[in-house]
Formats: sequence, structure tokens, C-alpha cells
Amino acid sequence: MLGRADFIIKYLILALIQMLLCNYANFSPYLTLSILPVMVLCIPTKANTTWAMLIAFVTALAIDFLAGGVIGLNALALVPVALIRRPVCDSIFDKELAVRGDDFSIRKYGMPKVVFAIFLVQTLFLLIYVTADGGVQRPFSFSLVRFALSLVAGVLLSIPAAAVLTPDDRV
Amino acid sequence: MLRGTKIVRTILNAAIFVFLEVAALNMLSSSQSAHNFFLAKYSHAFMGKVWGMTQGVRYYASLRKVNDALSEENFYLRLRLLSRGDEAAATGSGEDLLTAAEIGSFRYSPATIVKVGRTGQRNYVIIGSGSEDGVLPQSGIITPNGVVGIVDAVGKHYSYAISFMNAEVNVSARLGREGAVGPMVWDGKRTHGALLKEIPLQFKFQPGDTVFTSGHSSIFPSDIPLGIVGTSRIVNGATYEITVDLFQDMAALRYVTLVTNMGQREIEDLERQEEEGMKDKKK
Repeated sequence: MLGRADFIIKYLILALIQMLLCNYANFSPYLTLSILPVMVLCIPTKANTTWAMLIAFVTALAIDFLAGGVIGLNALALVPVALIRRPVCDSIFDKELAVRGDDFSIRKYGMPKVVFAIFLVQTLFLLIYVTADGGVQRPFSFSLVRFALSLVAGVLLSIPAAAVLTPDDRV
Repeated sequence: MLRGTKIVRTILNAAIFVFLEVAALNMLSSSQSAHNFFLAKYSHAFMGKVWGMTQGVRYYASLRKVNDALSEENFYLRLRLLSRGDEAAATGSGEDLLTAAEIGSFRYSPATIVKVGRTGQRNYVIIGSGSEDGVLPQSGIITPNGVVGIVDAVGKHYSYAISFMNAEVNVSARLGREGAVGPMVWDGKRTHGALLKEIPLQFKFQPGDTVFTSGHSSIFPSDIPLGIVGTSRIVNGATYEITVDLFQDMAALRYVTLVTNMGQREIEDLERQEEEGMKDKKK
């Protein structure tokens, strides 16, 4: 019970950090910083895909309403991340992870596997986000550079977020 | 039994996924309806108050620079009034203009930007004036240096506007005072960069020529200077696409002017009647 409350508090704090990123991290039109995919990836495996999708939708919509300003954009890109969360965890970490009700962590599975999982969810998120956010109107080269830069920055930013959300001693 | 449960769960997940995606896509594509939703108006007020407060601190730090720019602008405006022989206006305090002024079919009123959203390709601005200040949807937002955006949703004290720095916004612009007219869009990269499109090849221009609003749209009046012509390229062998260096840097916005076309409703009614007439003819 304490573990769940602990996760919820950390999750909300990271959502707040995402709002701050939306408002203050406007470094370049080529760079979109988001820790939302890793937040969804780290939702405890006890929550099934339906719940994960609903949590992702509500979180993204809250960000869109309170900080992003473009209603529906984060929601559109984040729900598919919740859909593939279980298959990603099953294929990268352990097929029995969800069955045991266990969660992944950097110490348990190592940095490369966690980074690869983050890379996959961040890729899916950014593919949809960049396409929906003017990807059709802008030249392909622009969207490609934006996607690549955002992916690198997003993965780097997501590693500490994953470490916060998946401590080794989580109950 | 277990397999049946799994199939039902998969179908349920697929249905929920499709539902949520369609909902998100719908909100994204009908931005104006979404922003006119009552909850969205609370979110505009939240963004204006909370995030705008921190932007206010930043503006405060750059106040001296802003004052210098305003003083310079004031000086040139007075010079223009004097050159037109309007000495009374040039030496007056201008208090009567602090609320609103009507010139031609346009109504001008001052406003302050409380929040500039610059997160990607669909940027927005929130202004600290709402319906109680007489703001109407589809009003233009301008500065002496160009076009800032178009009001999309109006709350009681705040209004949400689509910024010119938005992939879906274009402004009808003209090369010089009497040149060709084409849509001008944000270039997506710089806060002071734009592209003037669909300029026919027979029109001649030089780098450094000024680009103005054409007045062909019902939102912005004509002859607002927007920027200067930079490089150009020919698109599909048919038209020019010209880079424009905007006078107004969209990263440095605070005081703006709201411009409302008083005849806009009449124009929209006429357009609606025309559309209905066309439909009737087709039938």
C-alpha cells in the first residue's frame, strides 16, 4: 500500500516537472522534451493495459490543459505507449514479470535493457507527436532532425525519471 | 476459459485504445471547439495566472529595454502625427485611446500578453483580456512590427489565441505597397522567420523589400509592415517561395493591440449565404 502511495506521489511530481518542461524548456523548435513515455512505462505491472491507457490519457490531457496548450496532442501520442508497455516489458525484461506482479528496475535488469525500453517507448511517442505537431506541413528533413534530437534528449532525461519511479525496494 | 478471457481482454483493450485515440484526435483537430469548452477556459486562466506570473518576472527584468523601445516608438508616432498636421494629438496625453479606438471598420484596443506558449509547431498566446474587456473571437493581435496571432477562445478575463508561430496559421501578405499577394506562414524554425508563398513568377522583387499585410483577410487591416524579403526559390517551376525576416521577434512579446473587424459578422453572413446559394444551385 505504501509502495502504491509512494509511486503516485512520485508520478505526480514528475507530471509537475513535465509541466515545467513544457513551459520553460523552449530551447529550439527542433527539441521537444518529454518524460511522459517513461512515466507510463514505469506504471506498476499490477495495473493492466486498460488502466495504463486510462492513466496515460488522463495524465497527458492534464498536461495539455494546464501547460501544453494544444489539447489532445500529448494524449494522442501517449496512449499508444501505454498499449505497448506490457509487450515491451515482456520482451526486454522478463516474460513472467507481469505474472509475478514484479516491476523492473535499473539494478535488477541493468542499464542497457532499461535504456532500450525507454528508447522504444520514446520513439513511438515522438513519431506520433512530431507527425501530429506540424509534421505534415513541415519538410521531412525538419521533422527528422526534430525527431532525432528530441529522442536523444528524451532518453537522457528519462533515465533519472526511471530511477525515481522504479526503486529496487518498491513494495 | 483462460483463452476466452484473454480474447475478451484484447478486444476490450483495442476498443478502449481506439476510443481514446479518436477522442484525442478529435480534440486536436477541432481546436477551437476544444478551447471553447468551459474547462479549457479555466485552464487558460490557470496558465495565464500561474505560468504568466513567472513570465512577468522575466518581463520585469527586461523592463528597461522595453521602456527604451516604447519611448522610441512613441517619439516616431508623435513625429508621424506632426507630419500629418495633427498637433493636438501629437502633444496630447492620448488618454482617450487607452481603452479603444475605431479606425475605418476596425476597432483597436490595447492588451497584454501574459503567456507565450512555444513548445512546438502549434504555438499559442494567452492575453490578459477577456469578454469583460470586449474581446471577441477571431480578433487579430498585432504590434507596430507585425502580426502576432488570432484570438480563438475568449474567457471572462483571459483569451486564448493561436500564435502566428503555428503550422496551421497563414496571413495574407503583399510584396511592397502594390505587389503580389500570397499566404505568409511561419517557417517553423526561427522566432522571426516566415515564408511568403505562391508569388507568381512575373512579379519582380529585391531582397530587402518590405512585406505588408494585404488586407484581403477580414481579420487584419492592410499595410501593417511584417518584415523584409530575404532569399527566394522557385517551387514546382510555377511560383516563388520567399523567406521573410519578420520585424517582430515572436520571442519578445508583451504589449499588443487587439484588432476587431466590426463588419466581420456581416462578411461571414454574406459568405454563408453565398455557400448556401451554391449548394442550392447544385441541388
